[in-house]
Amino acid sequence: MKRAGHVAWLVTAIAVSACNDGGTAPPVQRVPSTLPVLGSGLVAERYTAEVNVYGTYAYTTTWNRRGTVVGNAVKVWNVAGNQPILIDSLIIPDATTTGDVQAIADVKLLVVATERANGSIVIYSLVDPAHPTLITRYASANTTNGVHTAEVQRVNGILYAFLCIDPAGATPARLTIVELSDPAHPREVFSGAMGNPFVHDVFVRDGLLFTALWNDGMTIWDIGGGGRGGSPASPVQIGNVLTVGGQVHNIWWMHDAVTGSSRYAFVGEEGPGTIGSASVGDIHVVDVSNLAAPHEVAFYHVAGAGTHNFSLDEQTGVLYAAFYNAGVRALNVRGDLGTCTADQRAADGRCDLTKMGREVAIGLQQAGTAAYVWGVQKVGTSLYASDMLNGLFKLDAR
Amino acid sequence: MHRRSAMVVALCLAVVTSSGAQHVGHAMEGTDATRWTAGVHAIGLITRASPAIGGKSLTEGYLAQPLAWGRLSAWRSRVELTGTVQLEGLTLRRGELNTGIYGEGYVDRRHPHTYLHELMGSVNGSLAGMAASVSVGRGFVPFGSDDPMMRPFAAFPVNHHLSQILERLVAVVALRSSPVLLEAATFNGDEPVSPSAAPNARRFADSWAARATLFPLRGAELRASHADVASPEDRDGKGVRQRKWNVTGRWESQAMAAAHTYALVEWSSTDEINRGRRAFTFASLLGEMEVSASGNAVALRLERTVRPEEERLLDPFRTVFPSADVQINGRTRFSIATLAVRHALPSLGAFSAEPFVEVSAIDAEALDTPAVFVPAEFYGARRLWSYSLGLRLGVGTMMHRMGRYGAGK
Repeated sequence: MKRAGHVAWLVTAIAVSACNDGGTAPPVQRVPSTLPVLGSGLVAERYTAEVNVYGTYAYTTTWNRRGTVVGNAVKVWNVAGNQPILIDSLIIPDATTTGDVQAIADVKLLVVATERANGSIVIYSLVDPAHPTLITRYASANTTNGVHTAEVQRVNGILYAFLCIDPAGATPARLTIVELSDPAHPREVFSGAMGNPFVHDVFVRDGLLFTALWNDGMTIWDIGGGGRGGSPASPVQIGNVLTVGGQVHNIWWMHDAVTGSSRYAFVGEEGPGTIGSASVGDIHVVDVSNLAAPHEVAFYHVAGAGTHNFSLDEQTGVLYAAFYNAGVRALNVRGDLGTCTADQRAADGRCDLTKMGREVAIGLQQAGTAAYVWGVQKVGTSLYASDMLNGLFKLDAR
Repeated sequence: MHRRSAMVVALCLAVVTSSGAQHVGHAMEGTDATRWTAGVHAIGLITRASPAIGGKSLTEGYLAQPLAWGRLSAWRSRVELTGTVQLEGLTLRRGELNTGIYGEGYVDRRHPHTYLHELMGSVNGSLAGMAASVSVGRGFVPFGSDDPMMRPFAAFPVNHHLSQILERLVAVVALRSSPVLLEAATFNGDEPVSPSAAPNARRFADSWAARATLFPLRGAELRASHADVASPEDRDGKGVRQRKWNVTGRWESQAMAAAHTYALVEWSSTDEINRGRRAFTFASLLGEMEVSASGNAVALRLERTVRPEEERLLDPFRTVFPSADVQINGRTRFSIATLAVRHALPSLGAFSAEPFVEVSAIDAEALDTPAVFVPAEFYGARRLWSYSLGLRLGVGTMMHRMGRYGAGK
């Protein structure tokens, strides 16, 4: 019944949004459906961090300490069935958090970021995805304070890792860019202090670099696709926006696979929270149609909770957001998000996605079960969610 | 570590003896009414924390609180210079076992203080019939209660970072008209990032504090203070602010006499302010007292303090400093009872020695549900013990109360 409801909603949403790109008749507010849990792989000895799925395998990382056990592991899961099955664990020496993880399909690599001191990226071969094998561990003076996130993308055909480095003592946060053409011998091409006071994450697409600079907002850089002469070795700033509330944590620049629109970037705000129990922070919708003058047009707020990482299904136009203690939220983000009725508008003029009926589904909010969701990834009809407290969940997102 | 401690002891003794041991311990008065006092102090300490981590106990020895201090006053006390050199950076690099304590990148171990602990110059005068002073230098901000080093216990209270602000580049104005003392200060908000770190001079005057003290009876003090501290944990000034309050009642009879009583009660609270809004509040209630006679003293301290839990590093007694975001890993409430007994050995000239024993019973309770820092899982038990055996060593005049300058003394 719930699944049928999902299908009906998606058909309706696509039809409505297709007619709605001009900004008229926004959808009515509706009660979001629930994303059913298909299965879970529990992790009891460590806190779980990020999730990344590669074919029928998923990799989850671990965070800080649970009791006296440090978060120095990467868990390897078989997710071919509904129930994730743990098949291997990679232990990374001298790491306390293996926060970010990304599989790169075309070159069969797995890149893991490690914190704090002895910060590094660890590169594995995925020739056997069930049992990744170490290629190298890269660390330099520009990573040693801790690699908070690592985003691996190609720029003009060349593979790079964009590393957000933690501040430490009197040393400020910085962005370090490493070329991975030869994964066994990473080559640093750029490193510079960045962020106020942190650079937490980046998004890279079409030769543009979007940096999440906390209270300095989101900055867009030309690194080879912006026509300003920039490159990964020498980024050139194009534009910046200070989103409401600042604390810019993560970004996703959407390329709608159906409408072709690339008008919006979604910005996650991470406010002060108590890990495990409380969080704060909205999703901000930024119109980037003019890269030199991006501006915020809408937001999504959940009372008593804050967002963390995103996964955007660009085929269906649904943004899945980890929302820490509020589980997972799914939003229809297709169409015009900057046009709404007066009733759907906040006092500052931004459109409220909840009042616009854009909230379509909620996950991992079962009564009696505390969750604290770090990351999500939509693959096919399934949504994978990493819950810091409990482990890996597979949800039905049809 | 032992070699460093021995070097520090030798260095301190050399400083005192070379300055003329026959003068040390006495206030010297010259022809132009120049007076000076000086002293050296250290604690040889063995501490056992049980359990300290994962159900295991740790027993360690240190040379704690090695410091040399001096005060010079001239022109009939119109000008004063106060300085303290603290050498814990050499003897306590890994921190001193002190369950519950936190701050400056250390947790459950007390961090070493800076080598230049204070160097303050004061100009004293009068204003509208009141004693007045202006003091400038590196030192204590007029906020909260006395530094724990000058109190009866070797173990620091958990509330050290809630109740004192120190090692800042500070300018203090003090006005005193008995029975009222008013102090106001401006200073740099950043905490030291290492024992050798200097204050970030570019941030001087980005923070302020004020304290009012009432002296209702001889030996009694009632104090209320407030401080607005910009970004203490981010040296560049980009972190959260702290708004701090402290109310203290203090009693001391016949200071430095053969028999005396001492008592202190304080409430402290710190709000962490993120982008203009209160994000977290940490509060403390503490009471302590000491009774001494004929060189023997018994002291008791009761404390209840809520501390933030922060991300720990590979060394489980170190935390991320500064934090990489504005989240905490929860709050833990420490309820601690500490009993100390000490005995002053007969002095040998300028040398003094006091062996002591301290025992603390500690209860650590997570206040958030679910909590990611669960004391029983980390320590191995919720109820913890700490035992210390030590010897306080002094040469010359022992500093009685630290961080009070000019008319604020």
